[in-house]
Amino acid sequence: MHNILLIARREYLERVRTKGFMIATVLIPVLMAGLVGGGGYFASRAKTSSHIAVVSSDSRFATDLQHTLQSGKDSNMQVDLETPSPETRARLDQELTDKKSSLAGYLWVTAAPAGAVAARPTFSYKARSAGDISTRGTLEKSVSSVLMRESLSTRGLAGSEIDSLTLPVDIDTSESGSTLAAFGAAYVMFFLMYMVIMLYGMNTARSIIEEKTSRVFEVLLATIKPDELLAGKILGVGAVGLTQVGIWMAAAALLSSTGVAASVVGAGHVLISATQIIFFLLYFVFGFLLYSSVAAALGAMTNSEQELQQLNMFLVIPLACCMLLLPQIIRAPDSTLSRVASLVPFCSPLLMNFRVSLTHVQSWEIGLSFVLMAVTIAAILWVSARIYRVGILMYGKKPNLPEIMRWLKYS
Amino acid sequence: MSIVQLETIRKVYDTKVAVEGLSLKIEPGTMFGLLGPNGSGKTTSIRMMIGMTVPDSGTVQLFDQAFDRRALHRVGYLPEERGLYKKMKVIDQLVFLGQLHGLDEATARKRSLSWCDRMEIADAIDKKTEELSKGMQQKIQFIAALLHEPDLIIMDEPFSGLDPVNAELLMNTLLDLRKQGKAILFSTHRMDQVEKLCDAIALISRGKLVLSGSMRDVKAQYPRNRVQMVFTGPDAFLQHPGIAEAKNYSGIAELRLADPAAAQAILAAAINAGVLVSRFEVMEPTLEEIFIERVRASFGDAEFGGKVSA
Repeated sequence: MHNILLIARREYLERVRTKGFMIATVLIPVLMAGLVGGGGYFASRAKTSSHIAVVSSDSRFATDLQHTLQSGKDSNMQVDLETPSPETRARLDQELTDKKSSLAGYLWVTAAPAGAVAARPTFSYKARSAGDISTRGTLEKSVSSVLMRESLSTRGLAGSEIDSLTLPVDIDTSESGSTLAAFGAAYVMFFLMYMVIMLYGMNTARSIIEEKTSRVFEVLLATIKPDELLAGKILGVGAVGLTQVGIWMAAAALLSSTGVAASVVGAGHVLISATQIIFFLLYFVFGFLLYSSVAAALGAMTNSEQELQQLNMFLVIPLACCMLLLPQIIRAPDSTLSRVASLVPFCSPLLMNFRVSLTHVQSWEIGLSFVLMAVTIAAILWVSARIYRVGILMYGKKPNLPEIMRWLKYS
Repeated sequence: MSIVQLETIRKVYDTKVAVEGLSLKIEPGTMFGLLGPNGSGKTTSIRMMIGMTVPDSGTVQLFDQAFDRRALHRVGYLPEERGLYKKMKVIDQLVFLGQLHGLDEATARKRSLSWCDRMEIADAIDKKTEELSKGMQQKIQFIAALLHEPDLIIMDEPFSGLDPVNAELLMNTLLDLRKQGKAILFSTHRMDQVEKLCDAIALISRGKLVLSGSMRDVKAQYPRNRVQMVFTGPDAFLQHPGIAEAKNYSGIAELRLADPAAAQAILAAAINAGVLVSRFEVMEPTLEEIFIERVRASFGDAEFGGKVSA
C-alpha cells in the first residue's frame, strides 16, 4: 500500500505541476461552453442572405414573395424579379455558371392551369450548389406562407387579420426554469465528461508507455510488484482528473449560486444543481476507472505512442456510440432504448449522467448502473493486470492475439 | 553464508530456452563477474534473482533464505537499459527511488545529496534529467541503486558508455563497497575490467553455465604454456623439442610450449647459444582468450561465425 501511494503521489505531483494541466483546466470548460453556446447562437441567429432570382408571370405573387424573402423573420435575401421567357432562362443559367455572379439560384414559377379549383402554381428551383439546404428551406417556408396569405386575402380577410392569424405562438416556461439553460448545462456536461474520460484514459496509457520507452520500470520493478505499479498509476492519474473536474464543478457551483447565472437563467433557478455535480463526479470516477483499465492494457501491449494511436479505437468507439445515441436520449429520455443504453457500463458515465440531469431517473436504475460498472471494472482490471505484468517486460514486436491470450495464463 | 544462491534454475520463453540448469553462489564481500555473449541469458538470470521473472523450476535464495520480496530492500539494481523520468528533477527522482526502497524522505534526501557530492554531480541536482548528458544520467542511476545501502549490488553493464575518468570513479566506488563487505554482481563484456576487479566469475553461454569459480581457480585450469620473448641473435634455439609452436617476428617471438615446465630449459638453451635475451615472459592465458575459447566450444565452431562479441 505504501508503494502504491508513493507511485500515485509522484504521478499526481508531476502532472498537476505541468503548464498543460493548468491550461486545460481553464480552457476546456471555456471551449465547451463556447462550442455549445456559440453553436446555439449561430443556429438561432443564422439568416439566409443569398442572392436569388424569382421568375414569375404573376407579378403580385412575385412582389409578395420578394418582400417576405428580403425582410422576413429569418431571411434577408436579395431577390431579383424576372418575367418568364426562354431568354431569361438561358441568361440565368449562364449567370449560375459564371464565377463572378453572386446569384445562388433561381425559382421558376409556372402558373396553375386556368380554371382548376384550388390549383397551385408549381415551383422549380435551380441552385448553383446542390448543398445549399438552408436557402431551399427558407424558400419553401416563405412560398407557402405567401400562398396562404394570398389565398386568405382572396377569401376576403383583411391584412391585419391575416397577420394575427399567422403570428407564431410563444409558450412561457419560466415557471419550471429556463429549459434551454438546463438543457445547455446537461449538454455541456455530456461533452465535458466525454473529454475528460478520453483525456485521462489516454493519459494512463501514455504514462505506461513513457515508463516503458524510458525503461524506468526496470528500476521500479526491482522493488515493487507490477500490480502495485499499475494501481499507483491509475490512482495517480485518476486523482489528477478528479482534481481538474473538482475545480470545474466548484467553479460551476460558485457561478450558479452568485447573481451571474441568475441574470442569465432567471431568478430562482440554478444553472447546475448539487445533485448534478455529485453525479458528475461519481460517474467520472467510475468512467475513468473503466476506460483507464482498458487503456492500461493497451499501453502495456504497445511500445510507442504511434502504436497506441492505432489501438485507441478501443477507447473511442464506445464513447462515439454514446455520441450517436445522444439524439435518441434527448428526444425520449425515458424510452426503453434510452434506459437500456444508459445501463451499458461503457455508456453509463455519459448517458446515465445525461439522463439524470434531464429527467427523473429511477434510483434503482442509477444503482444498477454503478453495480454493472463496478463489476466490469473488476473484470477488465483482472485481465489488464495480467497483460500489464507480462507486457511491460516485452519490447520489440507488437504481440498478436494468441500471444496476449497466452499472457493471461501466466500468473 | 551466501548472499545469492541459485540452484538449477530454468526458464523457458515459449519455445526458446533462456536459462537451463544454472547454479551459482555469491559470497559476501566478493566482486562477482557474470559473463557471457549477447543473448546468453545474463539479464534473464539477473531478473530471476530479483523476482522480476519467476523461474520455471529451481530455487532462488537471497541472504540464505528462500526468495521473498521483502529481501529486495537489501538489493540495489542498475539495469542494463538505463531509465529515468525525463521531466523529473534529479533530486526528486533520487528521493522517490529511495523511498520506494524503504527509506523515509529526509534520509533519502540527505543521502542523495552526499552521494551527488561524491559522484561529482552536485550542480545537477536541480536540473531535469533530460537536460543531462548520458554519462551524468548513468551516475544518477548508479546512485539510485546505492541509496538504501544494499548488501547486494547488481549492476548490468555498469561501465558502458562512461569515459575513462568516470569509469574509474565508479570502479573505485565499487571497490570501496566491497571493502565494506557488500557483495557485488556485475555483468560486462569488458574482460580487462573483469580481470582487474572480480574475485569470482561465472561464464554462461546459450543459457548454460560453462565456467565458474574464483578467478585464481579458473586461471589455474589453464596451463601457463605461452611465452613471449624479445631477443637478438641466431634463432636456432627455436627448434627446441619443448616448443610446440613458434612464431618469430624478427626478434619478437611468441611460443606455445608442449609442456609448461620446459620454459626454463628453453631460456637456458637460448643463452647457451649466445642469444641476447632482453625479455622473456611466461604468460597465463587472458580471460578474454578463455572466454572466446569456451564460448566457441559451447556453440560448436561451425555455427560460431561472429555471433559472439567479446
